[in-house]
Amino acid sequence: MDWKSTEQASMERHAPNHSSSSSIPATENTVWADASPLLDTVCKELRDGELIHGDNFNLYAAMSALEIMDPKMDSGIINKYASVDEAIEDGLAPVPISIDKTVDVQCIIDIIDHLLACEATWHKGHSLAQTVFSCAYLVRPERTLSHALLDSYCKVIRATCKAVTTIVSDARTHEEEDLFTMSYGLPLNVEGDEKCLSLLNAVEENISRQLRACKAPLSKRKPLEDIEPLQTNFDLEEGYCKALLCRLRFRKHFCHVLSCMRRPQGRGLELARKHIASCISELGSILNSAEFLMFNAYGTCEDGTEDRTTASGRQAIGFDANLNSRISAPTPPRSIKILSWKKAIKYFENLLHHLDIICSYPLDPSLDALLRFVAQFQKAQPDLVARVHLQLLLVQDGKLYGRYPVLAVIIRAARLTEVIMRHDILKNEYFVQLGQIVINMLKILCTNAAWQRRKLGKILQDWRAIYSQLELAFRKESGEGSSISNGENASAGILKHILIWVEEQTYWIAHRFLVLGFELELYSPSEYCMVYWYLSVVLIRLAEKKHLKMTVSDGSGRHTSTSRLFCFQG
Amino acid sequence: MEQVQEKQRKEEFDASEIEYVSYGGEHHLPLIMNLVDQELSEPYSIFTYRYFVYLWPQLSFMAFHKGKCVGTVVCKMGDHRDSKFRGYIAMLVVIKPYRGRGIATELVTRSIQVMMESGCEEVTLEAEVTNEGALALYGRLGFIRAKRLFRYYLNGVDAFRLKLLFPQPEMADRDDTQNHDDHSPREEYSELHRHL
Repeated sequence: MDWKSTEQASMERHAPNHSSSSSIPATENTVWADASPLLDTVCKELRDGELIHGDNFNLYAAMSALEIMDPKMDSGIINKYASVDEAIEDGLAPVPISIDKTVDVQCIIDIIDHLLACEATWHKGHSLAQTVFSCAYLVRPERTLSHALLDSYCKVIRATCKAVTTIVSDARTHEEEDLFTMSYGLPLNVEGDEKCLSLLNAVEENISRQLRACKAPLSKRKPLEDIEPLQTNFDLEEGYCKALLCRLRFRKHFCHVLSCMRRPQGRGLELARKHIASCISELGSILNSAEFLMFNAYGTCEDGTEDRTTASGRQAIGFDANLNSRISAPTPPRSIKILSWKKAIKYFENLLHHLDIICSYPLDPSLDALLRFVAQFQKAQPDLVARVHLQLLLVQDGKLYGRYPVLAVIIRAARLTEVIMRHDILKNEYFVQLGQIVINMLKILCTNAAWQRRKLGKILQDWRAIYSQLELAFRKESGEGSSISNGENASAGILKHILIWVEEQTYWIAHRFLVLGFELELYSPSEYCMVYWYLSVVLIRLAEKKHLKMTVSDGSGRHTSTSRLFCFQG
Repeated sequence: MEQVQEKQRKEEFDASEIEYVSYGGEHHLPLIMNLVDQELSEPYSIFTYRYFVYLWPQLSFMAFHKGKCVGTVVCKMGDHRDSKFRGYIAMLVVIKPYRGRGIATELVTRSIQVMMESGCEEVTLEAEVTNEGALALYGRLGFIRAKRLFRYYLNGVDAFRLKLLFPQPEMADRDDTQNHDDHSPREEYSELHRHL
C-alpha cells in the first residue's frame, strides 16, 4: 500500500486550520498531521511481522522504539503524580511540616538524613533526579522561604550538588559518568543559593544559643533573654539541638572541603584537611544521635532497621521517587534503591578519608613518586568524586598540580638537568605531543580500574608512535657529524635521555595494564602462566630501562647498586 | 544483554527427551518472548526480538521438552570495528526447573557452531560479574574475560565482556615460523607483543 499517498491525503484533510482534531499549533519547525486514518488502514492490512517504515528507519532503529502506555517504557504514563505541583497540592511537602514544633524538628531531621542517603546513592552512580531531587522541598525553592532551617538546608544541598556536578563535568574524562552530571530541568542554579552558608550559619548560631539556654541551670537563666526554644518538649531540647547542630556543621564543613580543594595549585589542601577532620567528627556525632532519635520516634518505627534511610527509622516526608520521571530521561528510569542511612554515613566517611589522602600528598614534582602514589591510592577503589578531585589536582592548565609545566616534569623524570629547559629542541612539535600524552596518561590513571585498563591498552600505541618520532629526530641529530660522547651534540644527548625514559614509561604502562587484569578478575587460573610470562618480560625490560637511564645520566657509566634496580612500583 | 543461571527445584527428565529446534518463523516468536520476559528483567520490546530473529534466524535455537519450550538462545553476527566478523549472544534463558542439565550449553554450542561455519572470527557477550553460572558455562566453552565494564547494568553491577576467539588460519603459520610454546598471545596482548 502507498504510505505516502495516505499521509498526503490525511494532511490535506487537516490543512492549516486545525480546529477540533489537533490542539497542538504548528510552529516554525513543526507541522502536526493526524495519523489516525493511516493507522486505521494499516491495522486492517498489516500481517504479523510486517513493518511500515521510512527509508532510514530499520529494525535496528526500531529497537529503541517506545511502546506507548507501557509503564516500563512510557514516561508519560502517570505514576502517582502528573507533576511536582500536583504532588505539592496533594500535600506531599507541607511547610511547615507540623504546627507541633517537636514533630516539625523530628521530621526535618528525617529529611536531612534521607537527603544524605540520597546524596550517597547519587555519588554511587545513580541520577540526581531520582535521588537528591526526589525531594519536593528542593524542587520548589520559593516554598521553603518562610522556614529558616529547612530553607537554608535546602540551599546548601542544592549548592553542594551544583559544586559536585561541576567538578565531575570539569574532569571530562569520559562518558561513563554521564548519568552523574545529568541535571536537565533540575534547579541547580537557584538565585539565592550562593548565600546558603551565611544563612546556615545564622541558623546554626540560633540553635547553639538554644542549646546553651536549655543547658544553663535555672538559677542562671536570664528571663529577659528571649530565646525561643527549638521545640516544645523541654526534656528533649538538648538532644534535638545537638542532633541538628552536628548535621548542619557537617554540611558547612563539607562545603568548605569542596571549595578549598578546588583552589588552584593545591593551595587550599591544608585547610581542606582541617575541614575534613571536622566533617568526620560531625559524622561521628550524627551517628551517635541515632539512639536518641530512634527512642523518641514519632509514630511507629519500620521493622527493617538496617535498610532505614533515617536515624530515627521513620520514613522522611516530602520525597517521591518519580517526581522527576518526566524530565529526567526519555524512558522511565528504573526504580533504584536508596542506600541505607548507615551505609550513606559509611560512604561519606570513606569519601572524606580518600579526599584526605589526596590533600596530604606533598605535591612531589617527581613523576615516579606520583605514579606510585596514584597506583597506591587506586588500590582502595575510591569512588568517582574522590577520583575526580585527584585528577583535577594533578592536571591543571596543562601543568602538574598547576605548578610544574609537564615538560619540566618529563625532563626531571628523564634525569636531565633543568638547564635543558632552555634548549631549542624542546620547542619541537613532538615534545608538545609528548607532554599531551603524559597528561592524558595521568588523567587515565585517575579513572576507575575497568575503564583505566582499557584506555591504558589503547594509549600504548600513542607512546610507541611518539617513540618512533623521537627516534627519527635522534637519528637525524646524531647523524650530523658530532659524536655524543664528547658532549658536543646536546640535542642528540637530550633525545637519547628522553627516548630511554619514553621506553621506560611505556613498559610501566604495560605493567600496569597487566596487573590491573588481576584486580579486575579478568584472568582465569589457566591464563596465569601466560600473564606471568608477559609480566616477567615487561618487568625485566622496565628494570633495564631504569638502569640505563641512571647510567646514562651518570655519564661515567658507573653501575648503580642492584637493589635500586628492583624498587619499582607495583 | 542478559544471561540467567540458577539452581532450584528440578524437573525430572532424560537428556534425550530434549528437542533442539532452530528458529522457524513467526510461530516461534511468542514462545521466545514469553520465556525471556518471564526470566530476564530487561524490558525488551517486540522489535528487539524481531531484530534478532528476522535478520539471523539461523542463530536462534529453542529447546523443547514434551512440546513445551524450556529454553532459548538469541544471537546475531556481523561486521564489527576493525572489520572483524563477530558473533554476539544476546539472550540465553532456560527455565528454572530445567537448569543445571546442560541445556543452555547445548543451545549456545549450536549457535556458536553456526557462527563458526558462517565465518565468524570471534563471539562475544556480556554477563554480570556476579552471574557465576553464566561465567562457568562460557568459561567451559573457552570464553575469556576480555574486559570489565564498570557499572554496566542499571543496578550498578559490573559486567565482563566475554570473548571466544576462533582459531584463524594465519595464526597457524605464525606458530610455524616462531619458536613458541603452545600459547598464542591473546588479541588484547598482540599490541603489547609487537612492541616487546
